[in-house]
Amino acid sequence: MSNETLPIEAAGPVAPPRSAIERLTSHVADFGGLLTLAVALLATASVLLRWLFSAPIDGDFEYVKMVTAVAVFTYLPYTQARRGNIMVDTFTGWLPERVRNVIDAFWDLVFAALLGYLTYCLVHGTLAAITSGETTMQRQIVLWPSIMLCTALSGLLVVTALATALRLIAASANRNAS
Amino acid sequence: MSGITVALAGFALMLVLIALRAPIGLAMLLVGSGGYILLHPSGSLAFFGYMKTNPYHQFANYTLSVIPLFILMGALAERAGIATALFKSAEGALGRFRGGLAMAVIGACTAFGAICGSSVATTATFGRAALPELEKYKYDGGFATGTIAVGGTLGILIPPSVILVVYAITTEQNIAKLFQAALIPGLLAAVFYCLTIALVVRHNPALAPMTAKATVERAPRSIVQIVFGLAIIGGIAAQWLRGRLEWDNALILGVMALPMMLVDRAVMPAISIAIVVVGGIYGGVFTPTEGAAVGAIAMLLVGFAQRTLGWRDILQAIRQTAETSGMIFMILLGAEVFGAFLALSKLPTVAAELIGSSGFSPYVVLVAMLAFYILLGAVMDELAMILLTLPVFFPVIQALDFGMQPDEVAIWFGILVLIVVGIGLTAPPIGLNVFVISAMARHIPMTATYKGVLPFIAADIIRLALCVAFPALSLWLVRALN
Repeated sequence: MSNETLPIEAAGPVAPPRSAIERLTSHVADFGGLLTLAVALLATASVLLRWLFSAPIDGDFEYVKMVTAVAVFTYLPYTQARRGNIMVDTFTGWLPERVRNVIDAFWDLVFAALLGYLTYCLVHGTLAAITSGETTMQRQIVLWPSIMLCTALSGLLVVTALATALRLIAASANRNAS
Repeated sequence: MSGITVALAGFALMLVLIALRAPIGLAMLLVGSGGYILLHPSGSLAFFGYMKTNPYHQFANYTLSVIPLFILMGALAERAGIATALFKSAEGALGRFRGGLAMAVIGACTAFGAICGSSVATTATFGRAALPELEKYKYDGGFATGTIAVGGTLGILIPPSVILVVYAITTEQNIAKLFQAALIPGLLAAVFYCLTIALVVRHNPALAPMTAKATVERAPRSIVQIVFGLAIIGGIAAQWLRGRLEWDNALILGVMALPMMLVDRAVMPAISIAIVVVGGIYGGVFTPTEGAAVGAIAMLLVGFAQRTLGWRDILQAIRQTAETSGMIFMILLGAEVFGAFLALSKLPTVAAELIGSSGFSPYVVLVAMLAFYILLGAVMDELAMILLTLPVFFPVIQALDFGMQPDEVAIWFGILVLIVVGIGLTAPPIGLNVFVISAMARHIPMTATYKGVLPFIAADIIRLALCVAFPALSLWLVRALN
């Protein structure tokens, strides 16, 4: 497994974001973290109301589902920007750093292409949800705004993967030049 | 080309991609997408339809929402100084024994495991909270880091556990029942680790010098905690009287609440949160998602009240939650698409029929699978390993006759998988917990840590054998509570 996944938990305090894309994605992830905190507050309030007054928040699980989906989509670009996605470097650890950077940049480009297609699918999914006016079962909450947000964040993930690929290529080129 | 051939070729291709540094989630997503398009009668059109809303609906899942919440709870606990309080308390109780500080690490990790579902986070937390103390008392470096790496696995072995949540979601099992099943094997792990420490230091006293006799003043119990404990027990009794709880569940919750009144004042908040969260899920008071939410908010309040959590800590906890959750959900997305491809190939059904009719003893198949997991876990990420293999292994296990109900077999198998995942996290050559502690203690060679871990792995193998031979170790509490 890559040591690149280690620092954030092993080092305790999270290192300050460096590049512009890392700064942008960290702010987006902060917003997602606040959403997760909001989910925690909502669920706790519902438990207390149910426990004390037998009156939980109606349809709380629908809010939890929708908000969690958006929160998770805010996390993905940040994880990519910090290269937090797990990979195995057991068999390639012996290669020079320059070569490893080129391989990693290649996978980032593949990732961007595949996610680009998924974002395209999600755009169509959003349009379909707008047309159908699909809602949740209990609270009748319209679904398309949250699907649209997730689609936009998926687009940000594509941009992030392109940026990390360029960063790796630049690092590799600099090493070549020096 | 038949579906089976495509599936086998897909597996091979994916392993090649992973070996070539492709992120695991991407490798699964790539091969899964290609296989899906190849095997589905409507090809790319069907895949387009599948992907139009699937990524959204997969993440807009109530059960999955438990993952970021548990990670947030653990991340807040990591920063709220709880580990230090737990370690000091355990040190006060066990410090007078030879190897007592190492045992204190295990004891504190056990308690911390009940509020944190991640082994990496537990290892990192105790690397900061306990390693300086162990070094101060001249404990052998590799023995100290090995103990912390192994103690870190208690983060997942003691419920709540992110790995168990992923297993539950993948195999469509009840999370609460899996948490119930994990408790006894988890506590057994803590006992086995302490016995291992006792045996190791008896054999080689130089590892833990007797000068390491820690004398820690134990904080007295306060009237507040006794009142709080009584209030919780009173609440449980009231819910039983109102018919909201069965008598046996109420009794178990009441017994679980007792430690609130017995532990040191310093660790009482942490123990209370653990008991409320785990006990609440066991007793059916709330769903695992609600339990994780209550735990995260309670941790936040405790941190504010004790002035151990500031805004900066909360921001760091949020970012840690974001990165860890993002990593897990990326793999989950890949696994979902890869699983859909495997389902189209019919490989899981065919494998289950083939092995079911092969005449092999179910236990031989089970042991072979566990051995395969131990080998694979030595070179691969454990989360990805179970997500990759479960779509095939789980139907096979379900098709075998172990003389139990299929849902009991599913829960028992989940606990066995959890134990082998724990072994994989510390076993050479790639033990993630060892990497974490080595990154924090660069002056101690990684080989020394692996050497320190080996006796514990032997204990793990014995525990695994016991849990295979005696399914009741996993299932007794589930049967008692349901």
